Amino acid sequence: MKTTFFKIFAFLLLTVSIYSYVGQLVPQFEEYPPAKQNITVSTSPTDLANIGEEIVRVKGGCLICHKVTESGNVRGPDLRQAAGKAATRKEGMGAEAYLLESITQPDVFLVPGYPKMMPSALKPPANLNLAEVKAVIAYLQTLGGIEVTVKIEASDIAAAKAAGPVHKGKGAMGTYGCVGCHKVEGEGGEVGPELTKVGATRTPEELLQKIVNPAAWTTAGYQPGIMPVEIGKSIPEGDRHEIVAYLMGLSGKTYSPTGAESPWSHEGVRLGLVILVFNIIMLAALAIANRRTKGAA
Amino acid sequence: MANSSVTPSARLALRGTYKGVMKISLMLAATYLIAQGLTSYLPAADYRSLFGFSNRTAVWVIAELHLMFAAFVLGVPIFAVITEVIGSVTNEKRYDDLAKEFTKLLAMAYTLTAILGCVLLVLFFALYPKFTGYMTKLFKPTWLVYIVLIFGEVIVAYLYWYTWDLLPGTRKKWHLLLGVLVNIWGTALLFVADIWVTFMMSPAGIDDAGNLTNLWAAINNPTWMPINIHRLLANVAFGGAIVAAYGAVRFLNAKSDEERARFDWMGYVGSFIAIGAFIPLPFAGYWLGREIYQFSQQMGVSMMGGSFAWLWILQAMLIGGLFLASNFYLWLGMGRIPGAERYVKFQVPMMILLTIGFIVWATPRSIMATGTEMSAMGGSHHPFLGLFGVMAAKNTAVNLMILTTFFSFMLYRRGNRVPTVSWAAVGKITQALVIAAASCVVLGYGIYSYYVPSNIRIGFSIYQVSAVLAAMAVFVAIDIPLLKGAREIGAIRWGQIPARAQYALFFLAISFTWLMGLMGYIRSGIRQYWHVYGRVMDESNNAYTMTHGHATLIVSGITILFFLLVSIVFWMATRNDHKAATE
Repeated sequence: MKTTFFKIFAFLLLTVSIYSYVGQLVPQFEEYPPAKQNITVSTSPTDLANIGEEIVRVKGGCLICHKVTESGNVRGPDLRQAAGKAATRKEGMGAEAYLLESITQPDVFLVPGYPKMMPSALKPPANLNLAEVKAVIAYLQTLGGIEVTVKIEASDIAAAKAAGPVHKGKGAMGTYGCVGCHKVEGEGGEVGPELTKVGATRTPEELLQKIVNPAAWTTAGYQPGIMPVEIGKSIPEGDRHEIVAYLMGLSGKTYSPTGAESPWSHEGVRLGLVILVFNIIMLAALAIANRRTKGAA
Repeated sequence: MANSSVTPSARLALRGTYKGVMKISLMLAATYLIAQGLTSYLPAADYRSLFGFSNRTAVWVIAELHLMFAAFVLGVPIFAVITEVIGSVTNEKRYDDLAKEFTKLLAMAYTLTAILGCVLLVLFFALYPKFTGYMTKLFKPTWLVYIVLIFGEVIVAYLYWYTWDLLPGTRKKWHLLLGVLVNIWGTALLFVADIWVTFMMSPAGIDDAGNLTNLWAAINNPTWMPINIHRLLANVAFGGAIVAAYGAVRFLNAKSDEERARFDWMGYVGSFIAIGAFIPLPFAGYWLGREIYQFSQQMGVSMMGGSFAWLWILQAMLIGGLFLASNFYLWLGMGRIPGAERYVKFQVPMMILLTIGFIVWATPRSIMATGTEMSAMGGSHHPFLGLFGVMAAKNTAVNLMILTTFFSFMLYRRGNRVPTVSWAAVGKITQALVIAAASCVVLGYGIYSYYVPSNIRIGFSIYQVSAVLAAMAVFVAIDIPLLKGAREIGAIRWGQIPARAQYALFFLAISFTWLMGLMGYIRSGIRQYWHVYGRVMDESNNAYTMTHGHATLIVSGITILFFLLVSIVFWMATRNDHKAATE
């Protein structure tokens, strides 16, 4: 029996080794997530075009369908000609406006001969903001040998999107009305102290305590007792931690909202109790069966 | 009162079932306590590594092993019940024994599946706490349903096993009902688990910030049902292959001719189930692929024409190998069928056809090639096969391979029988014409595909597949009455098959397992650096797409681990047999 086992095991190793070997023969490459780009109103046209090229290659995923060299994909139009032909595509529309529209609303106008298949770059999975779209336009202009004319406005950068629910503290501050009294990142009321840099002087624990118990401490220069107790307590625990993570992040500190959940969640305990009761019922049934078997014997 | 008493066997059944319930209760309690303990003990983080080991690889290995065992325990009951029904209808005890033999493998496999599932859950909470927290909150109701289903599955599965000999004769129908219930609960479990996986691929029912807007939309996301069906079929094929491997192990270790005959038959039935469920699998795969494309062109193109395209060449190699091995097994099996020597002449042409199909299918396509890849191939198309490397030829090749394997099986089936019905000649000619017509349709559309654009060409695969399926259905429909009352040349000499045929069965099981690992990687990998595609980014250090070589090494490691664990299941089943024999 042992010999058979070893023979089978050797056969297993041989077969998976062949498959692994073939896996080594195909082209090998790694693909990394897009690097975070820092676009500002003063980014130079050359830097903007360079950032745009990186977006086209990685984050935008444009080269899956388009080509920027002779050997690329041809599902979509050749991007080397995109900027050059942009002014002639739609009557009455300038080159830059056309490029912006074709990237953000690709279905509005289709280049003849190409199907409707491109998603808006503002939507997932590319999920670009306007500054990034303009960087792409700068790259297309450079690629086409045209002068970079596109300009970054402050509002383009402000439209930058969060990655998702992992960073929703900012939204939560709006939802629960915090910004009604506090200013954060230049927006909000002035009844309470500005919170943009509160993370520099306070620990996450202090901030969490302050949310649920406003009397815990008061910033110098502000009157105690103004902040309502009910608001903080009405914010779900998870969202309180999200808000703290966001505020700490504004001061360049990291705080993970994870680990913040109560270790003894009510649902878990309740479910455990139901399972326990179920076990007891089954044990009782077993005990009755035992007794009846003995009785029958 | 006589009917209020409980027989010792019924008490044993109840005790066995409770053991299962207790095991799962303790495992869930331990998982909950460990997960909660780790959550409060470990310092806060979005991601953690496992003692310096990659969190992604740790989760990948355990998740894949859990999935493989789950596939086995969900797939085997499907054909165990069907076999039991056959036994019940035909009154042939050997079918009932075989179904029981299948089911015997399940008890230990259930325990391993549950342990791996619990480890996986702990790893999720410990290594991906932030993202796991998000998913558990989003899908809280489905988790509750899942736990209820786990208990339901454990209860009915253990009752099904322990009441096997308790419900004979007229009460057999109640046992069959239990078997059906095992499958209903099992399928429901699979469907619930698929919700989480498919949501990550094709999210729906959430807003841009990832907040839930519609739970049903999140559940019924675009890839949910295609994956449900694909996995259901794959589970049967996988379960069949593992059961066949079990039969092969027992055959090689058999001490008597009777035992050899028994396990030879089991191996044959297992391989038949595996191949039977495997044939419609590519069609379910097409459906899934289409839904992926419809959800996101970008994701679809990444899968078929981008980063993951080369892995389909590996897939083609594996499936080609599976076709060759299953045909090889059937041809060797014909050696134990008196009269089957009449069909030996077909083997060489069939092998040539399969080999050509294999080569065509495994040839890289030009569309996915980068400049470097094209220079490695010597041009935009393969230097030798040229335009035979494109999809038009591949679809034609795979359909002809399916048809050839089907034909092989039909010859095997007819091996020792000579039709005696008056219309036998007409029937056989009609069958040959049907196969020829299907081949012409497949070839014709294959050639025509070269002259039409790709969006029209993709539609041709439906005609090719339909022709093959129709031909198979008509062939079988003729075959059943044709072989009714057929003259038997001699009985099949079960057990008289070369040992190398058993290695063909191992090859099937290993290749199915490796293929499952590879497909799982592609399905998960096409999300690239997203936890939830396009919505929640993976911001860990492991959010990159690794090299194909690295990925295949991990898949190989998982396959080896799986078989080491499966050998424990086999050993336990064999040990119980020996114990029973000694007693």
